[in-house]
Amino acid sequence: MHPPTTLEISSQVIPLMATLMLVVQLLLIAQRMLLTNIRLFAIQSLLLSGIAAVVAFNYNASHVYVVAVLTFIGKVVFLPWLLNRLVHRIQIHQDVEPLLNAPSSMLICAALTLLGYSVTRPFTSLEKLGNNTLAIALALLLTGFFLMINRRKALTQVLALLTVENGVMLAAVALTTYGMPLVVELGIFFDVMVAVMVLGILVYRIRENFDSMDTGKLDQLKG
Amino acid sequence: MLLTFALWAYVAGMAGALVLQRAERLANVLGFGLAALGGVCGVVFSVSSLAAGRAVTIAPVTLWSGPIPDVRLVVEADALSCFFVLIVSLVGLAISVFSLGYARTYYGRKNVGVLAAVFNALLLVTTLVFIAGNLWMFLIAWELMALLAYGMVSFEHEDREARQAGVLYFIMSHLDAACILLGFLMLAQAAGDFSFASLRGIGAKLSPQQRDAAFMLFVIGFGIKAGAVPLHIWLPVAHPVAPSNISALMSGVLIKTGIYGLVRVCFEFLGPPPMWWGASLLAAGTVSAVLGVLYALMEHDLKRLLAYHSIENIGIILMGIGAALMFLHTGHAVLASLALIAGLYHTINHAVFKALLFLGAGAVLHATHTRNMEEMGGLAKRMRWTSLFFLVGAVAISALPPLNGFVSEWLTYQSLLQGFGTTTSLVRLMFPLGGAMLALTGALAAACFVKAFGITFLAQPRSDHARNAHEASLPVLIGQGVLTAACVFLGLFPTAFLKLLDPLTQQLTGHQLSQQLTLANGLVLSDATAQGGTVSTLGITLMAVYLLPVPLALWAMFGRKARTRIAPTWDCGQRGLTPQMEYTATGFSKPLRMIFKALFRPRREVQREYDFSPYFATTLRFESHMEEVFQTRFYRPVNLWLLRLSRRLRALQAGSLQAYLIYVFITLVALLLFAS
Repeated sequence: MHPPTTLEISSQVIPLMATLMLVVQLLLIAQRMLLTNIRLFAIQSLLLSGIAAVVAFNYNASHVYVVAVLTFIGKVVFLPWLLNRLVHRIQIHQDVEPLLNAPSSMLICAALTLLGYSVTRPFTSLEKLGNNTLAIALALLLTGFFLMINRRKALTQVLALLTVENGVMLAAVALTTYGMPLVVELGIFFDVMVAVMVLGILVYRIRENFDSMDTGKLDQLKG
Repeated sequence: MLLTFALWAYVAGMAGALVLQRAERLANVLGFGLAALGGVCGVVFSVSSLAAGRAVTIAPVTLWSGPIPDVRLVVEADALSCFFVLIVSLVGLAISVFSLGYARTYYGRKNVGVLAAVFNALLLVTTLVFIAGNLWMFLIAWELMALLAYGMVSFEHEDREARQAGVLYFIMSHLDAACILLGFLMLAQAAGDFSFASLRGIGAKLSPQQRDAAFMLFVIGFGIKAGAVPLHIWLPVAHPVAPSNISALMSGVLIKTGIYGLVRVCFEFLGPPPMWWGASLLAAGTVSAVLGVLYALMEHDLKRLLAYHSIENIGIILMGIGAALMFLHTGHAVLASLALIAGLYHTINHAVFKALLFLGAGAVLHATHTRNMEEMGGLAKRMRWTSLFFLVGAVAISALPPLNGFVSEWLTYQSLLQGFGTTTSLVRLMFPLGGAMLALTGALAAACFVKAFGITFLAQPRSDHARNAHEASLPVLIGQGVLTAACVFLGLFPTAFLKLLDPLTQQLTGHQLSQQLTLANGLVLSDATAQGGTVSTLGITLMAVYLLPVPLALWAMFGRKARTRIAPTWDCGQRGLTPQMEYTATGFSKPLRMIFKALFRPRREVQREYDFSPYFATTLRFESHMEEVFQTRFYRPVNLWLLRLSRRLRALQAGSLQAYLIYVFITLVALLLFAS
């Protein structure tokens, strides 16, 4: 028995943190309070940022540090703050009003997670960061998507989109040791930033015009 | 070197005209001046390289290579490229000079800088289409060409007609680009590479079904661009509404890119052709030629009439190319070269005289402010030079000796007539049939231009506009003069020009024919067979000149004795002749409308009001319509069906964000399941 190397430790730590991300995702799905939802998203992003930092430390990839820092600043600090402010400013009802109730949502998410695992089985040998990370990333993506469908309010849909993006980032880190080229990651990152800004403004406008944040009311726009 | 210079001249013209768009005069002179300079360089380049007989003028040069492997822009020029560069440069040169004067009519009304810039850009990308060395370059230039032409079709966008024509052109351009893209992708997949060099003869690697499919895609794609029946519907709509110089460029050069594509693909890429390829091209050509001219006959809009004639001439070109493919199949390489020469000769001829006619129409349009022939008349006295140039163009397009249209159509006849003996299958009946149809086409075209010239330029003015018409400015006349000179040269000295086609036929069919086609030191044109026909346009002209003294002498001997009496024209007892008594375009074409009733399905409505006897009507209203068969029988049903389908699909557009998300989600999950 030799003491475990840092590489071995990290190959345990990363799947653990990834799994925690999935757990947080499931909490998000079950949780009905809007402000708590935002906090949960911040925690999930913190975990992602941690994974990126561990990867960067392990493989000495300096540009992955950039990703970690950007994720921290953007998704743990800035976006939650922005969304919080938006919630306070438009003073909406705290309940997120999902379309499906929590138990059935859970069942569907379990099925989606299974799908993620079954689809990624051929790729597990490619992963450098432990066996389950890619599967979890895909599961995050799919459940995030489901979350987007299951919510009515524009703000919660934005939140769901952000979790989808967390899944994509995780996949990027998991599948390729050093992450994607920095340019691509930065591109994705700023894409999402801009998307959230635009959606934030849009949410405000929807609220102003329809006196509600229910995107279902947008079908009145149909010609 | 010269070609590079020409391309940079277009670029400079484009940039300069855009920069100077506030100073209209400067933008006009700079833009069109540089375009003319580029045209001169292009002509010198292509003529010198064709005359030197070089098979490859510019070996593949990579202009730009992208970050992704295989994404490169490559240009190269072989004999075929040079020939088409000659067409675009020659016609471009003449049109540029014309535009120097013509663009003045837009001063203060439209942005002349943009017009000049787009004109330069069009010349640039068209040249790039012809010298493209790989698919990226070709397709990008092709799309840009369509886009710029769209901009020009809707240049006078205040006009509803122009906007609608632009949209139709846009849709058809997309359709043709899609077909071409698919076809090329099939070839590129087999070749594993996008360069034209690796596509040569690639058809041999495909299965016969794949080759046939690729051929069909190319025929549809390039056929739309060329305006072959039944893919022609955009052409008579889009060409007339563009500014006249652009119409000339579109009809003269842009539709020829379709011909270029067909020749490039069929003779170089797709490998040995089966019989039905050539036969279908020949059939399509025959139908286009006859229908094009028939519709032209019924047209009273001068520019639309010319546009329909483009369809006719594309048909004649396709007949030559189709026959060449059939001869390649049966192994008659010499005949194939003859037919190909006929087709390509007609390509440059049509470019020259059609551009000339459109320029003439532009000058007339500017003078009379109408495209309707029924409001013209009497312009021969007011626009002497324009009418002379138009007459030369009309004689050339009617295939009358000694001008250029005659030479290429004569070559087409010869190849078709000899085709009967090349095969024993029933397909050979197509050759004499095609020849007969070509003869009919020629006769109808002549009738059509008797109408076009007669109604437009002769007799008395039919409107005040025509009465106040004035001769066009000098650059406008010079531009037409250049093309007139080209018509005469190509008509009188075909043997000199045929030498330029040698490297071309060498490249495509492996034969050089100019020696065999030339008899008596280039004075006589033969059809390359021992017992075949010969003709000499120069001889015909000289004969006419030499025989001129004969009627003069006869008149001197006998004519003087006749008594000369000068009196007004007999006016049926009315008092004085008025324009209302003149022969109208509608009246002129009536006999043909009756003969081809089955095709035109004319409908007329006469409403007459009278007090006591129908012979003394107080008011008379007359309306006549014709059915556009392709529109009503094919395009409209397809259109309706598409609309109905779209309306059903609209149910998908529920307007609910959740629904859209679910579509995306289901697709994603399905793809994942499918992939795993």
